[in-house]
Parts: sequence; structure tokens; C-alpha cells
Amino acid sequence: MIRLLGVELTRLRWRRAVLALLVLAIVVPALIAASRVWATRPVSQGELDQAARNGSSEIQDCVDHPRRYGVPAQDAEQRCTDMVVGWYTGREPLSLAGERVGGSGMAVVAVLTAFLLLAGTTFVGHDWNTGSMSNQLLFEARRGRVWWAKALAVTLASFVLAAAVSTAYWLTLWATMRARDLPMLDGALADSLAYGMRGAGFATAAALGGYALTMLFRSTVATVGVLFGVSIAGGIIIATLGIGEQWQPQKNVSAIVKNGTTYYAEVPDSCFMRAQEATEPEPNSECDQIRDLSLWHGLGYYGVALAATAGASVASFRRRDVP
Amino acid sequence: MSELVIEASGLRKEFRTRQGLRVAVSDLDLAVPAGGVHGFLGPNGSGKTTTIRMLLGLAHATAGSMRLFGEPVPDRLPSVIGRVGAVVESPKFAPHFSGRQNLTLLARSIGAPSSRVDAAVETVGLTGRDRDRFKTYSLGMKQRLAIAATLLKDPALLILDEPTNGLDPAGIREIRDTIRSLGESGVTVLLSSHILAEVQQVCTSATIIGQGRMLASGRVDDLVGASTSYRVAVPDPEAARRVLDVAGFHLTDDLLVETDRPAEVTQALGAAGIWLSELTPVRRDLESVFLELTSGTEMGAEQ
Repeated sequence: MIRLLGVELTRLRWRRAVLALLVLAIVVPALIAASRVWATRPVSQGELDQAARNGSSEIQDCVDHPRRYGVPAQDAEQRCTDMVVGWYTGREPLSLAGERVGGSGMAVVAVLTAFLLLAGTTFVGHDWNTGSMSNQLLFEARRGRVWWAKALAVTLASFVLAAAVSTAYWLTLWATMRARDLPMLDGALADSLAYGMRGAGFATAAALGGYALTMLFRSTVATVGVLFGVSIAGGIIIATLGIGEQWQPQKNVSAIVKNGTTYYAEVPDSCFMRAQEATEPEPNSECDQIRDLSLWHGLGYYGVALAATAGASVASFRRRDVP
Repeated sequence: MSELVIEASGLRKEFRTRQGLRVAVSDLDLAVPAGGVHGFLGPNGSGKTTTIRMLLGLAHATAGSMRLFGEPVPDRLPSVIGRVGAVVESPKFAPHFSGRQNLTLLARSIGAPSSRVDAAVETVGLTGRDRDRFKTYSLGMKQRLAIAATLLKDPALLILDEPTNGLDPAGIREIRDTIRSLGESGVTVLLSSHILAEVQQVCTSATIIGQGRMLASGRVDDLVGASTSYRVAVPDPEAARRVLDVAGFHLTDDLLVETDRPAEVTQALGAAGIWLSELTPVRRDLESVFLELTSGTEMGAEQ
């Protein structure tokens, strides 16, 4: 098995289309990091002066009529200047927590997921397209072993790359904050690295899923088409059928990557009657509209899907004729 | 009877198609003895490739049993596949990898040293082009690479499906010589080919199939049969015909005599003072046997 794994890792390394996707999985997050570092750079004195000049009429209007701007009359000049200059520079300082909650963290996970999924499907789609799968089976007839060796190669390569990219991403943002002397909560780096690891795990599972689907459909195009269709139609069907938001794919990704999230739940009409009595519903009770979606729910959701796909893929590969 | 390397009994393969069930192989028996080169002949669509693919575990048999080296396949295929080299249909390799890269991956998967790759490349005459991408190879070079891949295992059984497709005459001769020498060295070769002259030159035994069934099997000499016809060359054919008629032979307009006693022909003509310049046995060739057996069986089954 180790020998076969080595062969598959070599095959993966030699396949240029896969390499190109892996390079993109490094370059795009690097660009996102660079853009975040640039977009949150400290405002220079020159930019402040320029903003003050651009907003001079609004500053003056604010100073003249501070109440209109919600500014206390005391220190109105300084407060109005800070406020208007803030509008013109429009730059939030870098924050690890901010990037995790609603910032670039999910974008990096999405990029890694997309490229690694494509790498997983391209890697083995090539074997089917060229017919070289049959040649491989003439040298190793145990189809189960062949399936697992390729799966392990995809999983190992994807996780190492995703973990390295995620770690590098969060370390870059952390180092930038340190260099800018920005305040940081205790454990912010550890939380961010854990977030990155969960994202890397999800991207790896996506790569494995892409691989398993391609072994099932025997075509990269079919796999990408099915995944595209599911991603477009899945959410719509779930919403149309009135299935709860906790079963939406995106919500479960968030639950995994963010170590739990919340979702909006429909509540019975009787809850609104109680609401008029001004009593707060118990958290996660029948009447609570905002409910928790745990990491374990997300893992179960995607775990079952991955296990079903992998099971069907292995069974198909072992039973069906190979062209 | 020598040990059988390949045995198949009652082999059947059905394919489900949009038009319904298609039977590619039906109740096929196959027995290939150890050593020598065994021809596997049949018209297009007769089920040769399907049979080979079932033997190699690439396709599942609908019914029947198969053995390689006495081991039931596909159940015990993993234990014998290391002794089987095979080229099935067209060579299938990764087009963007070089020939050497393709061979290296296959060699590593069985733990063969890289020196085995060097030797295989040299044996098939690809030295100098082995680092070029597979997609740049001519069809002949691709065939050579496929044969090189079979040699990585140092096989005891070689299954070759149309191995000379796309080769130039010199290449065909090289491959034929290679096959013959492999057969002589103790390797059992199952050679599927449409080129009957080639099979007759190389093979010691053969199986002919049609519509997925075995039509004939045995030593090539036995399949072709003993000569019963002789061509005579004499200065005066009419005089010779009269003499032979009296002696109880019939000389046709093509100057052929049907007999299993050719010595009596020379004796009768010599006694009459007619001296033969030639008496040539006219044998049926494999092509004649093949065409007789397979006439009307073309396109009978899906391959």
C-alpha cells in the first residue's frame, strides 16, 4: 500500500493540470492576504490631509450644526474632523476576529475548497480520459487498493497544502497586526489557526469528494457538472421544500469552519403570542428564532455525504468493467 | 497433455445496450498450454478482446469459469497478475508523460528496479525517444512502449492483442521475432491478431472463435491439415494427364493431383518417360481454414 501511495503521489506531482491547480490554491490566498494587508494599512498623514481637504465643506457644516451630525457641541471641531476624515479614508484596522467572522477567512476556505476539489477530480479524471486506468490495473489488480492509494494521495497532498496555506495566511495577518501595534485579544492567533485548520480539513474533504465522484462518474466534466448543478439547485430545492435553514450547505460549512454558527428558524404562531407578553424565549427553544448550529452538525452533514459518495465510488470501481 | 496456462470454460459475457442485451462471448472454452505461441483468431466483433479483458479482470464474466496458471480468476488474479504481461487493444498511457515516466510509474507499482525500465526500453528499441512525451509518439512507437510495459514484469504469460497494429514492415518483423523468441524461451504467448500469415509463421497452436464461440482449436499444423494435393510441372501436361488417368489419378486443369501417395505419381510418370520438373505439395493455409470456419460470423457480436 505504501508503495502504491508513493506511485500515486508521484503521478500527482507529475500531472501538470493538477500542479497548476495547486499553484493557484497557493497564489490566490496569497493575493487575498496581500489585499487585506493593503486594504487595512494605517492611514498616512498625507491621506488624512487629503481627506480633510476633500471633506472640508462637510467638516465646516458639521462644526456649524453639530446636532445634525449627532456630534456633541463640545470639541465639535475635532470630532467632526475625525468623523468626516473617517468617511473619506473608509479604512477599518486589521483584526483577526473580524477576518474570521465576516472577513476574508471564508473566502480563503472557499478558494482552497474550489481548487483542491478540482485538483482531486482532475487527478483521476485524466486516468479515465486516457484509458490508462486499465493499464494500471494490469499491474495492480486489487481495485480496492488502487482506489484507496489514489484517495490517500489526494487527501495527503490536499491537507498538507491547505494546512500550510491556511497557517501562512493567518500568520501573515497576525504578523501584520503585530507590526502595526494593533490590539489583539488573548488567543486570537490560536483561534485563527484553529479556524484555518478546520477550513483546511473541509477543503481536503472536498478534494476527496471530488476524487470519489470522478471515480464514480469516470469523467471530470460529469463531476464538475453534477457539483455545479447541486450547488445551484440544492439550496433552492431545500428552500422551496421548506426544509429548515440548518440543512443549507453553506450554513453547515460555516458551522464547521467557524466552530459553530447560528441559523434562523421558523417558530410556531403561538410563540408570537408569548412575545407580546414580553418574555424572552429560552435559547434554542421552540420559540427561539436564532438557533445554534454546532460544529458536529456540520461534520455529520458533510460526513454522511462524503461517506455515501466514497462508498458508492468504491463499490462502483470494484464491480464495473474498466474500459 | 502439458500444463494449461489459460483455461476458460463456458465463458459468457453480456452487455446491456439501448437496443437490449448483446452477447459478446457465448459458452466459450479456451485452453492454452504452457510454452509456445498460441494464436487467438476471430473476425471483428467475435469476442477476442472481450475474452482477453475478462481473463485480465478488466471485465466481469456473466457466466463461466477462468483460470490463469491454475488459479481461478478474477478471485485469485492478484496472485498471478505479476506473471502476466498484456497489451489490450490500443496502448493506453498518460499522453503528457514521457514514455519513461509512464514505464517508471508502472515499474514502481510492482517494485521493479529502474534498471528494468532501461532494459525494457532498450529491448523494444525506444532508446533515445523514451524521454519524449507519449503523445508525440507514432502508433508504432506507442505499440513498442506497450510491449516494453509488459516486459517490466518479466512475465511467464504474455497476452498481446493486435501487437503489430501500426508498425512498419521492419517493426512487424522485429516484434514477430521478439514474440517467437519469447515463445521459444518458455514464455507462453497468447497472440490475438488479424494477420493470419503472421500467426501461421509464429504460432504453434491456435484457437479460432466466431460469434463469441470457439470454432476450432489445436496445433496449427493440425488445423491446416496434411497436404492431399500436389502441383505437377511436366513438359507435356496432356501426355501426363493420360498416363495418370491410366494409373488411377486425376490431373486437374490447374495441374493438381489429389492424392496421399505422391511417390506413385512420380513412379507412373517416370515409367512413361515423362520426367517431372516439379512436384509441390499444396497445403491449405490458416487463412483458408479461418475463412471457412468464420464465413458468415462477422459482425455477429459486440467486441
